[in-house]
This record gives sequence, structure tokens and C-alpha cells, in this order.
Amino acid sequence: MHPLSKVAAATAFALSLGLGSAEAATEIEMFFPVPVEGKLAKEMQALMERFNASHPDIRAKAVYTGSYDETNLKTHAAIKAGRPPAAVIMSANFVLEYQIGDEIEALDPLIEADGKTPDAFMGQFWPALHGNARFAGKVWAVPFHNSTPLLYYNTDHFKEAGLDPSKPPETWVEWSDAAKKLTRRDGDKTTRWGLMLPSNYDYLGWTMTALDMSNGGQYYNTEYGGEVYYDQPSMRGALTFVDNLVHRDKVMPEGTTDGKVVSTAFFAGEASMVVLSTGSLSFIRENMKQGYAVAFVPANIRNAVAIGGASLMMPKGLTEEQKKASWILINWLTSPEVSGHWSRFTGYFAPNRAAYDLPEMKTFLAENPDAKVGVDQLAYARSWFATYSTVAVRKALEDEVQAVLSGKKKPLEALKAAQAKAEEIMSPYVAATAMNLPK
Amino acid sequence: MAAPRTARRPDPLLLLGIVFLAAVALVWSTPLAWMIVASFRPQSFGGLDMASLTPNFTPTLANWREALDSADFARLYLNTAIVCLGILTVQLVTITLAGWAFARLEFRGRAVLFYAFLLQLMLVPPILIVPNLVTITRLGLYDTLTAVMAPYFASAFGVFLMRQTFRTIPRDYEEAAIMEGAAWWQVVARVLVPLARPGLVAFSIVSVVAHWNEFLWPLMVISSTENQTLTIGLASFTQGAESASQWGVIAAGTFLVAAPLMTAFALFQRQFVNSFLFSGVK
Repeated sequence: MHPLSKVAAATAFALSLGLGSAEAATEIEMFFPVPVEGKLAKEMQALMERFNASHPDIRAKAVYTGSYDETNLKTHAAIKAGRPPAAVIMSANFVLEYQIGDEIEALDPLIEADGKTPDAFMGQFWPALHGNARFAGKVWAVPFHNSTPLLYYNTDHFKEAGLDPSKPPETWVEWSDAAKKLTRRDGDKTTRWGLMLPSNYDYLGWTMTALDMSNGGQYYNTEYGGEVYYDQPSMRGALTFVDNLVHRDKVMPEGTTDGKVVSTAFFAGEASMVVLSTGSLSFIRENMKQGYAVAFVPANIRNAVAIGGASLMMPKGLTEEQKKASWILINWLTSPEVSGHWSRFTGYFAPNRAAYDLPEMKTFLAENPDAKVGVDQLAYARSWFATYSTVAVRKALEDEVQAVLSGKKKPLEALKAAQAKAEEIMSPYVAATAMNLPK
Repeated sequence: MAAPRTARRPDPLLLLGIVFLAAVALVWSTPLAWMIVASFRPQSFGGLDMASLTPNFTPTLANWREALDSADFARLYLNTAIVCLGILTVQLVTITLAGWAFARLEFRGRAVLFYAFLLQLMLVPPILIVPNLVTITRLGLYDTLTAVMAPYFASAFGVFLMRQTFRTIPRDYEEAAIMEGAAWWQVVARVLVPLARPGLVAFSIVSVVAHWNEFLWPLMVISSTENQTLTIGLASFTQGAESASQWGVIAAGTFLVAAPLMTAFALFQRQFVNSFLFSGVK
């Protein structure tokens, strides 16, 4: 049955009983993090009001749950406490852990109950998003808002340095040449950095994934959550490239640079090129005073970046009514119209491809061609790093990369240490899966 | 008029001390000063002037308007006040009684029990999130202000502090009261508590500051906007992992969150010093 006809049927049923719809309404909660700036929490409440007004038999409540990591913590705690939310907007790469922990519902039965095949259902979304939503043979999550890293560059600086602003660097050679030309020094002091990459926890893992993938790497085993490839040539090349930019060419600041510092430096004209999420695009567009443009992350072997962003998932332990209501909410939030609206508000791209066929979106992209670059880069995007104990395994790499950035370690020894640490963290899972052999 | 004072040459050590303290005070007040200046600065992203401590020539109220518009501050203030005062009220009773028991009562296993109590201080609060949440849910308190308060009703730190405070009070006072025919609770309420006031005041400050600033536990246990506390309300419009920061709005919002506490502390500090001076424990 189509979700709408379901709603109609449920409404008719409620009316036939002569009940006020408020009394019959199924109450559901949805957890949502606020990953980007602005009045996003307020906008989410407004969306919920719209949903509730058009679905009188459901009373959905959006619960603000902090950052992605805090949302993860609260969701785990709420599930263990027996108060699972009906839906969660979860960082797309955390979904795997919930599947491993048997804490979320497979969505296939709900998709089939709507008369669709899982293939047709997933077909609505950009192919790059499938890996983090559909794995181990089932659909576990529905992409809600997604991002990729982008190269933002100051076109005024490009002109000044004799570079063509309409030809952003496409290869690492061009990239590091441009960075050298753009860097300004005053004696020993650097007054303007050619390039800045965010290197705080979480962002750094994502930045390194983009560089590793652009260098032909895969970062992790997309099919199995117990393997990462930190000490392989692709990653070694990526980290050596970064190390050279910092310590040999001195076109990037030493040490850990927070994402917020990166964007502030870009606004201030203290960094000429930066790598930031597409999620920052609206904010930069509204506030950047100098000329800027966006481009793909430059490639050494190939164009490739990992997606970021969040998906909707459904925890186990709900009643049948709640499950149905949650499924209606999830479908509504990921519909082309709502998806497109949220995309224009936040800067994330809309996971639902049909959103880009709507007239509002066509007008928007015509007015803001920079938003189109992120969408175009999707053709080269890949799944986001997800393993057993994702955060700890990611941190194993980040700690070592930070040691290289601050000049305490060399790339090769750092990556060997990162690999060893990651393997130690994943060892319980490996022992229970790939190394669980016939006795 | 002025009594002839013996002209004393300024003590160089004292002068040095004053200079040092002034320097420390300057360092400590810099973030505060920056916060106030930044909250009136137009949203410029000039970067260079963003970090500056000098106010702009054209101060703006836009950041304040946006901060006030982003959350229901009246509700947030009320909830936070209820939580802090609620916790403190219960804590003052529990730590006084428990502290008295550990300081004065002789019972079997007192030392073991006391050390077991102290062990709680070693636990990192996030470890207790899941067990506490399970208990709260079973009690049917999920998403209530009581749930935010409940885990803090007994404080290991407070019990320790009160035990130590009670132990510094000479027993003579209590013995005199008992001679007059006072019951144990009268001894506690009329003799020990007034004498232990500095300890209670010190604890109150620590407790209120800690719970005013607390973020993780309220975030875990609160779901409705109506029950949010200040820190969560602030985070809901200033936290953003994937984008740049609107420093002016963050500064204004942070000031709104911190202002009542700073005011209360300025007023309370006098009382705090006085209570040390006049409490009679010498």
C-alpha cells in the first residue's frame, strides 16, 4: 500500500470510531543532531509542525540531541534503557555498529509492504550513498542529508598570484604548486597560508579518507567491518603529501587546525585554499566578502572522496503502530520536496535524486552554481568509513596523523602504529567473525 | 583629620605580589572581556578583528537579537534554576546528615562505608549514563526535571567535605547542648550547622556552578524542548561540527548563560568571605 493511502485508511478508521484524531494519534520521537550552523534546530521543529499538520494520526516530536557523537551516545543509552526513539538521524557511518549490535530494524519488510523492491527503493538515492545504508544484504538506513568534502578557493588571491581562477587545481602537482604561489611570508612569519585542511577529531578522519581515496586507496574494507588499510601505499602517499606541505614546503600550518579555524581563516583571507564540507556552503556563500569558488578535491590517481552526513534509522523495540508512524515520517523527510527544501536551507545536498528535478531546485542551482559542484562530485563519491567501533578505529589514525602534523613522527612509523592500534581495537570483532573458524 | 600614620615604605614584596595578581586577573578576565566585546561586534568574519579585544566603533545588537530569538531563554533560565536549587536543597540535607554520621556516630564498618563512599569520586560520570538512564526510565521519570536532578541528590564530595568540617568543630559545643537536654537533631540543626556554615556555603557554590554548566546528563535524559536547560538551549543554536562559527552569536548566547551565575557569584562572594570571618570557628 502507498504510504498516503495508509494514512488515509488510518484517518478514516479513526474518524469511523468517532474519536478525536488527537486521542488516536501515535506519538513518536525522533532524535536529531545539529551538525551545521544556523537556526537548524528551529527549522527542524518547523518541519515537524508541518508533518504533524498533514498527518493528524501521528504526533511526531523532534528531540535535539547535540552533536553526531552525543546523538550516538544518547541513542545507545535510550535503547538500553528501553526508551528507543522511533527514528534517529544518525551519522551515516555509525549505522553499521547498530546493525552489528542488532539494535536497529531492517527496513526491507516495510519497503516491501509499500509494494516496492529494495532495489527500487534505494534507486531513489544517489548511488554513492548506498554503501552506508544498504549492507549485509539488507537496507538499514535511509539517507537524509549528505555531504562531500570540497575545495574552496579565494578567487581574488588566485588572480593576485597569477593563477587562473576559472582553472582550479585538478591534480596534486597543480595543487601544491598553487599552494606555494598563494602562500605569503613576512620574514619567518607566514601571513597567508596557501592551503588549510581541518584536522580536529572526526574532520581529520574524513579529510584523510578523501586524500587516501584520491590516491587510489579504499581506506577500509567496504564489505567487512574488521579491516582497515592504514599502512598501505595509498595512505602512505597521502600522509607524506600532507607532511611535505606542512614541513617541507611550509604552505600549510603545523599542528592541529580545527575546522572552525579553517573557515574563519578562509573568511579572513588568511588561507587561500581550504577543504571543507559541502555542509559549509550556505554559510560561506552568505558570509564570504571576497570572491570564492568551489572545486572537486584534486586527484593524484583518481577523483574520489567519501560521503558524509546522516541517515535515518529505526531502532528495535517499537510497537507496530510506532513502526508504521516512524516509517511514514522517514519517507516524508526523505521525499524529494522536503529533501530539496532541507538541502537549500542547510547546504547539504539532497540524497533523493528526484529533488533536483523540482522547479525550486532548478532555480536555486541556476542562481547558485557553486551548489552544483558538490552534486557533480557525487559521481566520484564513495562510502564513508564504517567499521566495528568506528570512532575508536578512526581515532587511532587521527592521533597518529596529528603527531605527523605537529612534527613528532614521520608518516611511515605513524601509519604502522595507527594500523596496529586499529587492529587491536577491532580484534574482538575479528575473532568473532573472520577468525571464527571450524574447529 | 587623618590620624598621623606611621609613614611606611611600600613593601617591595607586597608590590610584586599586587603586580603578579593583577597580571593573573588580566589573564583570567580576557575571555570574559572578549566575549562581551565580540557579542557587540557586527558579523564580519574579518578574522583579524574577530580576535581583537578593542570594541568596534559601530557596536551592534544583532547578535543579541539572534541569540534571544534562537531559544526560549525565560524557560531555559527557569528550568536551570529549578534544577540547580532543587539539587542543592536536597544535597544540603543529605550531606549534612551523612557527614554528621561519618564524623560523630560510632558504628560498625564506618571506615569501610566511608571509603566506599569516597570511591564514587573516582568514577567518571559518563560511565554511569546507561545505568542511571535505566533506573530513571524504570521510575517513570524520563524527560522530567526530576530526572536531571535525581542522580545528584547524594554527593560523595559534599559528604566528605561536611565530615571534615564537622570534625574541626570542638565537641565541647555539642556536649554543652546535650547537657542542656538537646536531642541529636537539635544538636545538628542548632549547633553544628551554624558552625559549619562556611563548608556549606563553599559546597553550595561548587554544586550550583557544576550543575548550571552541566551538559551531557541533561542532554541524555531530556527530550522535550520545554524541559531543556540553558547549556542545551545554547548548544542547539551554537554548535556546528561541519561549518564555521558565528562567533558573535556564540558570545552573546554564552554571556546570557553565564550572566546570572556571575552576578550571583559577585553577590555571594561577600557572604562567602563573611561567613569565614564570623563563623566563630577559630
